[in-house]
Amino acid sequence: MSCEIKQKERVGTINPIFTCQPAGAQYVSIGVKDCIGIVHGGQGCVMFVRLLISQHLKESFEIASSSLHEDGAVFGALNRVEEAVDVLLMRYPDVKVIPIITTCSTEVIGDDVDGVVIKLNEGLLKEKYAGREVHLIPIHTPSFVGSMVSGYDVAVRDFVRYFAKKDKTSEKINLITGWVNPGDVTALKHLLSEMQIEANVLFEIESFDSPLMPDGNSVSYGNTTIDDLIQTGNALGTIALHKYEGGKAAAFLEKEFDIPAIIGPSPIGIRNTDTFLQNLKKMTGKPIPQSLVRERGIAIDALTDLTHMFFADKKVAIYGNPDLVIGLAEFCLDLEMKPVLLLLGDDNLSYPNDPRILALKEKVDYEMEIITNADFWELENRIKNEGLELDLILGHSKGRFIAIDYDIPMVRVGFPTYDRAGLYRHPIVGYAGAIWLTEQMANTLFTDMEHKHNKEWILNVW
Amino acid sequence: MPYHEFECSKCIPERKKHAVVKGPGEDLTHALPLGYLNTIPGSISERGCAYCGAKHVIGTPMKDVIHLSHGPVGCTYDTWQTKRYTSDNDNFQLKYTFASDVKEKHIVFGAEKVLKQNIIEAFKAFPEIKRMTIYQTCATALIGDDVDAIADEVMEEMPDVDIFVCNSPGFAGPSQSGGHHKINIAWIKKKVGTVEPKITGDYVINYVGEYNIQGDQEVMIDYFNRMGVQVLSTFTGNGSYDDLRAMHGAHLNVLECARSAEYICNELKVKYGIPRLDIEGFGFEPLSASLRKIGLFFGIEDRAQTIIDEETARWKPELDWYKERLKGKKVCLWPGGSKLWHWANVLHEEMGVDIVSVYTKFGHQGDMEKGIARCEVGALAFDDPNELEGLEAMMTLKPDIIFTGKRPGEVAKKIRVPYLNAHAYHNGPYKGYEGWVRFARDIYNAIYSPIHQLSNLDISNDEISIGTGFQTAKMLSDVNLSDEVVSSATLRQYTGKYDSVSDLRKKTYPEFKK
Repeated sequence: MSCEIKQKERVGTINPIFTCQPAGAQYVSIGVKDCIGIVHGGQGCVMFVRLLISQHLKESFEIASSSLHEDGAVFGALNRVEEAVDVLLMRYPDVKVIPIITTCSTEVIGDDVDGVVIKLNEGLLKEKYAGREVHLIPIHTPSFVGSMVSGYDVAVRDFVRYFAKKDKTSEKINLITGWVNPGDVTALKHLLSEMQIEANVLFEIESFDSPLMPDGNSVSYGNTTIDDLIQTGNALGTIALHKYEGGKAAAFLEKEFDIPAIIGPSPIGIRNTDTFLQNLKKMTGKPIPQSLVRERGIAIDALTDLTHMFFADKKVAIYGNPDLVIGLAEFCLDLEMKPVLLLLGDDNLSYPNDPRILALKEKVDYEMEIITNADFWELENRIKNEGLELDLILGHSKGRFIAIDYDIPMVRVGFPTYDRAGLYRHPIVGYAGAIWLTEQMANTLFTDMEHKHNKEWILNVW
Repeated sequence: MPYHEFECSKCIPERKKHAVVKGPGEDLTHALPLGYLNTIPGSISERGCAYCGAKHVIGTPMKDVIHLSHGPVGCTYDTWQTKRYTSDNDNFQLKYTFASDVKEKHIVFGAEKVLKQNIIEAFKAFPEIKRMTIYQTCATALIGDDVDAIADEVMEEMPDVDIFVCNSPGFAGPSQSGGHHKINIAWIKKKVGTVEPKITGDYVINYVGEYNIQGDQEVMIDYFNRMGVQVLSTFTGNGSYDDLRAMHGAHLNVLECARSAEYICNELKVKYGIPRLDIEGFGFEPLSASLRKIGLFFGIEDRAQTIIDEETARWKPELDWYKERLKGKKVCLWPGGSKLWHWANVLHEEMGVDIVSVYTKFGHQGDMEKGIARCEVGALAFDDPNELEGLEAMMTLKPDIIFTGKRPGEVAKKIRVPYLNAHAYHNGPYKGYEGWVRFARDIYNAIYSPIHQLSNLDISNDEISIGTGFQTAKMLSDVNLSDEVVSSATLRQYTGKYDSVSDLRKKTYPEFKK
């Protein structure tokens, strides 16, 4: 009885859990105000990523392509980047920040994006756009390295590295959220506000839960400003909630500007939220107020209603972004559930040495498998051919057919969750997130009991 | 027909020749927008890539096939579960997608070995599937992997499998259209003629350029079956790989989407002498004319006429209920390739709406030509739309509804223009007589949704009528209609089921004597 960590044995991918690096960089780019990224590659690398993110958020936003065609693939396509920057600046007068995000094709042909940025800075920007504030930021995200998760991590670091300056002291902290939803940002800002802590929230995507206004407001955009990014260099400290989605930037700031960094944990569940608040307290010296004691109490009350009665010993499979999966697994354990299979969709070599994974390995007293470089077949094959029995699946919408075909209840969580309404609005972090997650899991199990006539009468007197 | 210059595109003058306004009394000799040219970088065009044109649009609707993309996972992941091409084999092609997961070491040392392992693994995971299509992507095209050689090697070692290779990397052409062409030509060159056709009927067709969006193909196959016409293959929606290898056995190619699949029809004509007949599954009249044409070709007009009469009697009163309520509504018809001309005129004729704008993301000039010819005077037609132009057009034209894709639909939402999904449909299928009523129903439900009335109100400024607890679409749509129409005994709203397709799969058909 133990927890085993292994890499998927097959070389190929049957139903991928993650997409590739440029998608992560694009998700970061929409969190920055007055920013439109240019993805240097084929048009599909943008068109489909925009579709994916807009399916998730039910919003539109802008990302441009350098529209690599055949001639560019043969002769080099830096001229397409130059033209794209010019066209974008001409037509979008508010744009100040343009990350240039590479892809597999333009990395393979070896386009010197850093070189063209220097050329544009010396040439086009000086000549045609003199007096206009424009920042071109090369972000290297070849699709054959890492995944959307590392793409996110790299992009956050590159934005911060480009802008961060140290010229004064500040009481503000940096809070790098990682790949979360607008509802999570709201919940995190609420915790900060209760603690009376001022923070630079990177990246500020709360506004992607945007209204439909009578005067018409066509595009949603992020609210992290250039100044916010510059100020990251003056911060009191950095908390990166997700080790693999923002950890690099926190480490950079620590190394470059001696800004103390606390990396993790994702505040999923009571215990991790407690840790987050302790970390805030430690970093700022601010006390944890009674209001949060009470909020925590409400969450504990909600959890107590459900945990031993309904959750105990339920077997769960969890897949998705690593920090999310680990956080959810820890929370499930606290709820007396048994996460039996964790699937991490890329081959990041540091997963097996992650202290949280090592803790699972050391302390879990039943059979648990953690698969890295995993695909959905790792889950489906175990159910279909190896007798894995599950009570619940936690993960994003791309795995929906496993839940449907094998009739296993599933709670949608992570990115993307396009097959359920409004999930981007609800937090999974903080005490509010703990309540939401717990009750989602419970109600999903209840619906399944009714659907299968599996002791559904129990709920009569609960 | 003067070229139209968008305010937002004045700084990129080459865009000017991509848009025209159809003036009174003008024909296409006055002007025709440019089409299918390289995209202007940074314009935030809505175009996709040639890989998605091949894999996502045409390849993947084939239902009994392992669809393996040779490259990093992104291309596979991003194009997976974003379309609604269903199938009668439990949607295998929708549920499963395969990526060779090319990583950095493979870019450096070559990815052919890993591809071979992939193929073997995939067949092992799904032992009941013996057919595979491999799609090249940007990365593996650039490193020069010989995908065909690997496929041949595997086929030699595993004689019961067959593999089709499609070399259409993302950068191969200005848009997805390049991929349509490449996969058409590759299929006819490599696969047609490699299986003997199983001819069971007197009249045998290939149904081409049909992708079974929400069951379109199954609706049309029902008509063909009722006419006693054998459909040897469908290219490609709900189509079977081996059936499509036997395309050369048909008497006639019946072509639906001429943008994406005319190439294979033309090749089948050249190589096997099979004639091409262009049909339309959308709209009562075009569909009836299409069924008549097929009937005429085989000398079975009477069978076609029976279906036309039955279906028209059943569904026309429902279509007309909506027509009365959609008259004069302004539509931006903004699809991907060819629906601008499939839909433009028939929407006006049969639903009474006015097409105030057409665009095409990846169509060619020929599509524009037909689209402009069929839309209303004053309509704005533009090629390779981009974000700002679409927005400007909506702001100036103030359409009552737009038909476009999911993400541009979100842009429309914010400026309070209702949207219907032109690619995947809202509640389709939209082909067939019943389907066309479903389309009208969806348009009606979108335009007259009480939500739009609410979204236009500014509660801080506008006068709000208090005491109104609700509105229904009918309360809104019928307010200016004559009593005759409102209380008509013949007209009625749609009476079909939510799922109009599954029952078709259980149907049996009469045998026709020669």
